[in-house]
Amino acid sequence: MSETSAPSTLRVAVAGNPNVGKTSLFNVLTGSRHRVGNYSGVTVQRLEGEVVGKLAGEGPPIRLVDLPGIYSLSPTSEDEVVAFDVLTAKDAPDAVLLVLDASNLARNLYLALQVLELGLPLVVALNMVDMAREAGLPVQPQRLAKELGVPVVPTVARTGEGVQALVDALRALDRAESHAPVLVPPGPDDTALQRALEGLHPSLLPAEARTALLARRAGKGVPGAAGTFLASLPESDVRAAAQQLVCARYRRVDEILEVLGHRERVRDDAPAMAPSQRIDAVLTHRVAGLAIFIAVMAFIFVSIFSWADPIMGLIEDAFGWLSGLVSDALGPGLLTELVTEGVIAGVGNVVVFVPQIALLFLFLGLLEDSGYLARAAFLLDRLMARMGLHGRAFIPLLSGYACAIPAILGTRTISTTRDRLVTILMIPFMSCSARLPIYTLVIGALFVSTEPVISRGVDQGLVLLSMYLLSTVSALAMGFLYKRTILVSPTPPLVLELPPYRLPRVRDTLLMVYDRVKDFLRGAATVIMACTVVLWALLSFPAERTGAGQGGATMVAQSYGGRMARTLEPALQPIGQDWRVGVGIIGSFAAREVLVSTLGLVYGMETDEDDPVQLRQALREQKDPDTGRPQHTPLSGFALMVFFVYACMCMSTLAVVRRETGGWKWPAFMFVSMTGLAYVMALLVFQGGRALGLG
Amino acid sequence: MSAPTSLDRLEPGRKADVVGVDGPGDMAVRLLEMGFVPGTRVELVKVAPLGDPLELRVRGYHLSLRRAEAAYVQVTLQ
Ligand SMILES: Nc1nc2c(ncn2[C@@H]2O[C@H](COP(=O)(O)OP(=O)(O)OP(=O)(O)O)[C@@H](O)[C@H]2O)c(=O)[nH]1
Ligand SMILES: [Mg+2]
Repeated sequence: MSETSAPSTLRVAVAGNPNVGKTSLFNVLTGSRHRVGNYSGVTVQRLEGEVVGKLAGEGPPIRLVDLPGIYSLSPTSEDEVVAFDVLTAKDAPDAVLLVLDASNLARNLYLALQVLELGLPLVVALNMVDMAREAGLPVQPQRLAKELGVPVVPTVARTGEGVQALVDALRALDRAESHAPVLVPPGPDDTALQRALEGLHPSLLPAEARTALLARRAGKGVPGAAGTFLASLPESDVRAAAQQLVCARYRRVDEILEVLGHRERVRDDAPAMAPSQRIDAVLTHRVAGLAIFIAVMAFIFVSIFSWADPIMGLIEDAFGWLSGLVSDALGPGLLTELVTEGVIAGVGNVVVFVPQIALLFLFLGLLEDSGYLARAAFLLDRLMARMGLHGRAFIPLLSGYACAIPAILGTRTISTTRDRLVTILMIPFMSCSARLPIYTLVIGALFVSTEPVISRGVDQGLVLLSMYLLSTVSALAMGFLYKRTILVSPTPPLVLELPPYRLPRVRDTLLMVYDRVKDFLRGAATVIMACTVVLWALLSFPAERTGAGQGGATMVAQSYGGRMARTLEPALQPIGQDWRVGVGIIGSFAAREVLVSTLGLVYGMETDEDDPVQLRQALREQKDPDTGRPQHTPLSGFALMVFFVYACMCMSTLAVVRRETGGWKWPAFMFVSMTGLAYVMALLVFQGGRALGLG
Repeated sequence: MSAPTSLDRLEPGRKADVVGVDGPGDMAVRLLEMGFVPGTRVELVKVAPLGDPLELRVRGYHLSLRRAEAAYVQVTLQ
C-alpha cells in the first residue's frame, strides 16, 4: 500500500455453514451486539460492523458483513441466493472470512471448496476447536492450510481465543494479488461432467459454470449462451453431470480428511454429537419428548402471563401516576387531556408490551442457543407440514396466544418470505391475552342463566374454551387457505440440522433481547402513539365542557366516535349489538383494557377494570327501547365474542406487521379481511341463532 | 450388500449406503450437497414421535428429513 493514498476500508464477508459461530465471531470482532443463536438459519438479515478496539490494530478499518448460514452456494434456498449474490456481486467484498466448524469438517469442507472456486482472497477461521478436542478429533490448522492453500486460524469464538491472529491474517492478505480460483477437477470417469463444463467454459468463468450446472439441475433458469447450451443437454446428462460434480467435491473433502488424520468414523459417525444423542434419548423420545415439550411450552406461557402481568400493571400504574402529576401541574383543560390521555397514554401503550416481548425472546433465545428449538421443530413438523408450513412456524404461532406482537417478531426464524407472511397473517387469529378481559366481561355479564346446563361455572368455562377452540381452528383454516390462494407456495422442505446441544450464553441472549426490544420501540412506537392520539380525539371531540353536570356518558355519546357508532348502528343491529358496544369496539382498537373502560364511560360509570361488577349488571339490565326485551342476551354476547375472535382490534399488531413486511399493504389486508370476516361470522352466529330460536 | 430400497424405509438403528438421489431438481441438488452422495454411509437414528420426520446421521452430523424427502434417496442396506 502506498503511503500517500488514504487507507481504504477492507470489506470482509463472514461466510460459513449455519451454527458454526459466524455471529459469535462477528460479535467478538466488532464488539457489537447481535443475535447469537443455535438454530439453523437465524441470521436472516445482514449485519455489518467494524473491527474495533485493540483488536483492530494499525491499518485501514476492517468492515465485516455477517452472511446467512449456508450449506452450499447453489441457489436452492433464499439464504443461499443472498450469500451467493453478495460474494459474486460487482462490488464483491475484498475478502472472505470463511468459518468452519472444526468438529464437523466432513460437511463443512464442501462449502469451503465452493468458496475456493470463487477466487476471492480468503482466510479460514477453524472455529469450535474446543468442541473438536472434546470429541477427540485432531485439530490440524497447518495441514488444512496447506491443503486449501489459504491461511487457517484456529479459534474459539466463545472465549475470543485466536481472534487477534484472525485479524492479523486478514490484514496480511494481499488485495492486489489475483487469487486464482481453485477448482476440483472432474474425475476420469466423469464424462457427463467433462462435456457439460467444456460446453460452458467459453461463456462462463469456471466457478460460474459449475453454479450454472447445479442451477439447471435444480430447475432454475440460467441466462445467456450458457442457458441455451444447458437447455440443449438431455435431462439425463444434466443429472449425471450434476451428481458427478458434487461427488467430485466430496471425494476431495475425503482426501483432505484423510490428510488431517480424521479417521473413517468421522465421516460415518458423529463424534461431536455423542453427548447430544444421550440428551435426545429423552428430549425427542416418543412419549417423554412430547411431554417435555408441552411442559416447556406451558412453563413459557404461564411465565409470560404471570410474570409479565404484574410488570405490565406497574407500567400502567406508573403512567397513570405520571398523568396525574401532569394534570395537577397543568390544571384541567384540553391541553392537559391531550398530554395525559393522548401522548402519555400512547407511550404507555407502547411500553406496556415490553415485558411480554422481553420474556418471550428471552425464552426463545435460550431455547435457540441451547439447540432445543431445532428439536421443537423436529417434534412438531408433522403438524405444520399438513398446513404446508415448516416446523419452525409452530412456536411463533403458539406464542400468538400470549400476544401477537412478540409472536410476529418471532417469525423471523422462518426463512421463506411467503411462509413467513402466511404465519404472520395467521397469528392475530390466535386469541391473545388481550381478548381475555373481553370474554370474561361478556361471559360474566350474560352467561348467568338460572338454569345452567351443567353448572354455571362449567357452562361459563365451556363458553370460554369454545372461543379458544374457534380461534385455533380459524387460524389453521386461514393459513391453509392463504397457502392455497394468495400466497401459494410448495411446502418448504424440512432439511433441518439437529445441532449439538450447547449451554446457552446468558449474556449473548440478554443482548439479543435488548436488541429486539429496542428494535420494537423504534419501529412501532410512532404508529402506536399516533393511533392513540387519534382515538383519544375521536372519543373526546367535539365535547361540550359545560362542567360538572355532564356525565362522561353524554360526552362520549356526542364525540365523533360516538356519532360514528350511531351511524353504524344499522350495521351493528344485525349482529345483536347497539351503538354503545360500537363505541367500545372503536375504543378497543387502542389497547386491551380500553373496551372495558370505554363501555364503562358509555354507561356513565366509573368501572373497576379488574372487577367490573356494575358494568356487568348494566349490560345485563339494559333493555331494547323498542321491544322492552333485554338488549344483551347470551346469543348477542356470543356474537360479540365471535366478533372479537376474528377482528384485528389491535393497532399495535398492525403497526408491527407494517414494520415486518415493510409497507401498509399487508396490515391493510389484514385489517380489512379480519374485520370483514369478524362481521360475517358474528352475523352468522346471531342470525343463525335467532333462526334456531335461541335468542 | 442387499436389496436396494429408499432411505424412508429404513428401520431405526439401521445403516445403509447411498446409491443415488432423484426427485424434484432443487431437492435432489440439496440432498446431494448435504452429503447424500453415492457411497456415503447413512444411519436412521430416530423417527419423530408423530411418525414423521426422520432423524438421520450422515457425514458426521445429524439431519432431519421428512419421509417424503428421504424417499428420494436410494440406498442399499448394510
Ligand atoms: N463451544 C463453542 N461454542 C461456540 C463457538 N463459537 C460459537 N459457539 C456457539 O455456537 C452457537 C452458534 O453460534 P452462532 O454464532 O449463532 O452461529 P452462526 O454461524 O452465526 O449461526 P447461524 O446464524 O444460525 O448460521 C452458539 O451457541 C455459540 O455460543 C466455539 O468456538 N466453541
Ligand atoms: Mg448467525
